[in-house]
Amino acid sequence: MEPFAWQPAASPSEAASIATHTTAEAMLTLTGRPDTQQAMLIKAGGVDLLDLMKEGLVNPGRLIDISRLPDLDGISGEPDGGVRIGALATLARIAAHPALQQSHAALSQAAALAASPQIRNRATLGGNLLQRPRCWYFRSAAHHCLRKGGAHCFAFPGDNRYHAVFANQGCAIVHASTPATALAAYRAEVELADSAGHRRRVPLADFFVLPQADMHRENTLARGELLTAVWLPPQKPDCRAQYLQIGERAAFDWPLAAVAAVLDMDGTGHCRQASIVLGAAAPVPWRARQAEALLAGARIDSATAAAAGEAALAGATPLSQNAYKLPLLAALVRRAVLSAAAIDTVLPANPGAP
Amino acid sequence: MANEHRKEDAAAAGRIAGPAPLPIVLRVNGETRELMVEPRTTLAEALRGPLGLTGTKIACNHGVCSACTVWLDDLAVASCSVLAIEVGERRITTIEGLAGQDRLHPVQAAFIDYDAVQCGFCTPGLVMSCAALLARNPRPDRKEIETAISGHLCRCGTYPHVVQAMLALGTREEPDLE
Amino acid sequence: MNDEFPRRREHFPVGLAHLGLETVEREIPADEPPALGPNAGLRQIGKNAPRWDARAKVTGAARYTVDVSLPGMLHAAVLRSPWPHARLRSIDLSRAAAAPGVHAALTVAEPPVSGKPIVLRYVGQPVAAVAAETPALAQAALQLIDVRYEPLPFVTDPDRAKQADAPAVYRKPELDKVPSAGLPASAAVYPLSGNVLGPESRNSRGDVATGFAEAAVVVDGTYRTQVQTHCCMEPHAIVASWHEDGLDVWMSTQFTAGVRVQLARHFGLPLSRVRVQVQAMGGGFGSKSQMGVYGRTAVSLSRLAGAPVRLVYRRDEEHMDSGNRPSSEQHLRIGARSDGTLTAISLHSHGSAGIAFGAAPGGIASALYPCPNMESLHYDVFTNAGPSCAMRGPGNTQGAFALEQSIDELAEKLALDPIVLRDRIDPSPVHREERRMGAERIGWSQRRAPASDPGPLKRGVGMAQSLWPANVQINTACEVRLWRDGSVEVLSSVQDIGTGVGTVLAQVVAEELGLEPAAIRVRIGDTEFPSGPPSYGSRTTASITPPARTAAWRVKEAFFRTIASAWQVDAHTLIVQDGSIQVRNDPQRRISWQEAAAALRTDRISATAGRADDYAGFRYRSGDAAMALNDLGGAQFAEVEVDTESGVIRVLRVVAVHDCGRPINPRQIESQVQGGVLMGISYALMEERILDSHTGWMLNPNFVDYKVLGPQDAPEIDVVLLENYQGFSASDAYGISEPANIATAAAIANAVYNAIGVRIRSLPMTPAAVLQALGLVPGGRH
Repeated sequence: MEPFAWQPAASPSEAASIATHTTAEAMLTLTGRPDTQQAMLIKAGGVDLLDLMKEGLVNPGRLIDISRLPDLDGISGEPDGGVRIGALATLARIAAHPALQQSHAALSQAAALAASPQIRNRATLGGNLLQRPRCWYFRSAAHHCLRKGGAHCFAFPGDNRYHAVFANQGCAIVHASTPATALAAYRAEVELADSAGHRRRVPLADFFVLPQADMHRENTLARGELLTAVWLPPQKPDCRAQYLQIGERAAFDWPLAAVAAVLDMDGTGHCRQASIVLGAAAPVPWRARQAEALLAGARIDSATAAAAGEAALAGATPLSQNAYKLPLLAALVRRAVLSAAAIDTVLPANPGAP
Repeated sequence: MANEHRKEDAAAAGRIAGPAPLPIVLRVNGETRELMVEPRTTLAEALRGPLGLTGTKIACNHGVCSACTVWLDDLAVASCSVLAIEVGERRITTIEGLAGQDRLHPVQAAFIDYDAVQCGFCTPGLVMSCAALLARNPRPDRKEIETAISGHLCRCGTYPHVVQAMLALGTREEPDLE
Repeated sequence: MNDEFPRRREHFPVGLAHLGLETVEREIPADEPPALGPNAGLRQIGKNAPRWDARAKVTGAARYTVDVSLPGMLHAAVLRSPWPHARLRSIDLSRAAAAPGVHAALTVAEPPVSGKPIVLRYVGQPVAAVAAETPALAQAALQLIDVRYEPLPFVTDPDRAKQADAPAVYRKPELDKVPSAGLPASAAVYPLSGNVLGPESRNSRGDVATGFAEAAVVVDGTYRTQVQTHCCMEPHAIVASWHEDGLDVWMSTQFTAGVRVQLARHFGLPLSRVRVQVQAMGGGFGSKSQMGVYGRTAVSLSRLAGAPVRLVYRRDEEHMDSGNRPSSEQHLRIGARSDGTLTAISLHSHGSAGIAFGAAPGGIASALYPCPNMESLHYDVFTNAGPSCAMRGPGNTQGAFALEQSIDELAEKLALDPIVLRDRIDPSPVHREERRMGAERIGWSQRRAPASDPGPLKRGVGMAQSLWPANVQINTACEVRLWRDGSVEVLSSVQDIGTGVGTVLAQVVAEELGLEPAAIRVRIGDTEFPSGPPSYGSRTTASITPPARTAAWRVKEAFFRTIASAWQVDAHTLIVQDGSIQVRNDPQRRISWQEAAAALRTDRISATAGRADDYAGFRYRSGDAAMALNDLGGAQFAEVEVDTESGVIRVLRVVAVHDCGRPINPRQIESQVQGGVLMGISYALMEERILDSHTGWMLNPNFVDYKVLGPQDAPEIDVVLLENYQGFSASDAYGISEPANIATAAAIANAVYNAIGVRIRSLPMTPAAVLQALGLVPGGRH
């Protein structure tokens, strides 16, 4: 790590006003060497930022620490039945939160499967959502890839076994956040604050951006903005949810494929509305709209679940080495739907699941 | 306690430190220690370097192997992924401070009894994770133990004996020694 | 056997203890101790003494090389090649050497032939190094090295490297400088065609064409194994202190004595002025056996700076440049008569050890099941990748994956149970007993036909046989000292890399002296003590425990002589028991150990013993190394569950039945076998070094994308240990580390076949590979 100065922030708005760049902006260079040494960056848990700094991928001149700011880590039920999760709430607290386990089980399940207990004790929800992609070319200082301002994508001609199977034109990263898959399935919103203290809420689906829209960042967070909270809308009483992921290791492995299914059941075995989101499949949490359409109004059984699994693959464009993700995603969707609908117990697809 | 933290933070807020080395105070193993660090110094580096507490090991330096596990207050964390400057008033417990002088924590004794140690490089971190689990759950089952240590890598393969040692502690059975 | 040395006859127990022992008479050197009875009658050997350094390790007190800090110590950093193949046009260290806090800078890379330009052949190859007052200053100074490279064409993929038009990694005249991943040898003796070196013909015999003509059944398959990195938790580390009296080195090494010899030769120092030490050591698995480039770099920097220098690799440096297990591509054909009798084995293999050679898949295919007609041809394929070195069961681990699947396939074609076939073609009664016991434990008789489970989760059981030579380092010595206060030390330069050899030494000495292991001070890992064996080749216990017992026995004899002369009795009538010495059958003539020691004429008495030849002779001997008459075996059984929709293989249970001669500390052996099995599962299911073929960089030089098995991936492991007495040495104990790793991947592959009815012939067996094998993966876009 290069030397940097340190400044604890007094308030979210102060942090937002001091920050000169987002981490994504600070990593953008024409030369392949971070040339924004004077960048002042916001740091929360620091899990991903320190990793990037150790690899020499970003060399900020100053870190503005928001990790000790008060009142940014609460998990609170809202009067309408929704939940607000402060951006500094750790994944460990989210995973272990009894009310969340009841109301938003898929989020608890996803949070419990991210990284390791040690990291979950430090990693904040905000930092997790804003972490940069895990693409090994992006993470290698030797590969000046498109997303860092370079002229080449190394994954297309190279090794793309862990890359995206949807919306992968131009840049084939997959979104790195495990909880984001579940949050997207719950149609969550992020709360953003600017230096003037104004707060706005943006649907997660609008917050995350595809490479086609902007190759150099994964979200619309602007310079001078802080992610302060995530809002989960209230769930209907008959809503049932399941998160599943598959990795090569049972723990501390970014998934090869993941799915979050939230089904609004009508009590007669039919699904009023379904939300199916795929993880590790696309540069953003990938909403499987055809699967959702197929499930809406349908009786949930193994045939509809299997059909939903196949429908979830619509529009997939696998690369040279990642077509295996398609059968994997189809199987996960089918199992998650059946499990959410309490028709079939979950097969032990991910042995690491609690 | 929490309010004190916040007062202290508020006082520190706005101050820019570094990048040159600066003095900080850490509460380590019940002692208050003063040391010089740069803002970029990780907690693991501070412990092993200026504080001389080399029981904490660095094996991957990216928070992936958990060899560097210490406690911040009661939470097991990867000390290579924490900056020394951000620890503040939180109590740090390292392997050296887990039990008193010349004494063994029950987890340490069980590790010896069940030979849950081979090369030993990952062992201090594993002991810290196991002791943290035991503190919040005196009778963990196999699954809970495996989850608590799921972030650890041990290339020698001590996992089965670690689990055996922890199960024995949970049931308070006498070690099954031949 | 030299007649001028006096010899005497002893009667040794032989056989497998649980089946009943017989006695064999052997003539042994007169200065070797009497035959040791079976473990059942012993007090310390065969018992689970606590690991000698466990307390230090669980409290964090254990001192590893990375923990060694000397006054005035500098920190080194290494500049590495960013190019997979490049000529070094120029290098100027002057700005780096003048940077604040920098005390030394030097070029590390050497020209292949003196006077020729330096050529760099893999990403991560050391180019230059600096020593500075802090690690950060050293790292910063690397950026001040002015270096110009001329990139050259390169190749990282072995399949591409085999093609005639592939860029050449080496030219013929450079071959004698090629590092060896196997036994010390020169690549220059083999033909080189493009990047393909060889063939090396090993153990070929008879005529395979005739053999295949006689066969009723032939199996034929191509097996591929990946590159695996060692992943020692303690990185490669050295602290070197060059001073006017010589050289002191602390090093995370598997062979203190050998590194001392290499350092002395390289730096032109007498052995007497080079000292190598290691206290706690954080794992080697074959990668820390040599002085290495990092070793000579740190020492050179220390000499240049006039100060101690510490060099510790980062994890990415570990992955790229500290050795690895070479890849293999094995085309194996086996022919058999209808009763199973083998008529021919043909193994044509290619393997890549990167810029090194020695990637042959071991001798298991020619040694495990005798066959009159054998053809084994191996070709090394050079690639622009980091050099391989030995890794736990080198060769045989790759070889077993092919051989043991082929044997299962053969059994199926012959309509024989895989164990029945092996019992017919494997002459070893020990192996047969291992298979019998393992089969019983795993419930082999309940094993079903392939793909019997109707649902998506399919279970299966499989097994594989392990084989490894029982290596012995003849150049091994051990000293035992008895002090006037009765305290006892055992001393050797042998190092404990996590195997527990220190515990074993204490047990062996304690047994001989009638003391408790905790009473024996173990002083090892220091070349100031008698030279011990390396900790590789599963030879440590076999090499060091016989001289340890012999030295203890000689000290005891000398001690007894002093007591006997005072008591005026025959020394041979004295026995030691529970800390007292007495005349046999005369409890009145009794003295405590301490009292007797107080009467020694000098402060201490001591004996140093060397490793005698095995009493029944060696099968093979070359220089310092030898092989015992019998091999080390082991049979491993695995039960797996394959999720045929996700491709995930879960290993549910492993039964590992092993022999290592006389077990000295069963619990430590169990630890080591578990470790071998877990490393084998990790190899089978997830590990793989991945290089980008367009840039030559390793894409996963970390623990995120290089996947090592974690606690939640570990199955239940049932370790069964045979007591196999052979009367070969004063301890009759042999090694275990490597045989425990060799059979695992093959056993899992056979179990996977039994589960899904599809044979997977490539490693690692990832979810993607399983889905592919099941035909579930649609054609990808290219």
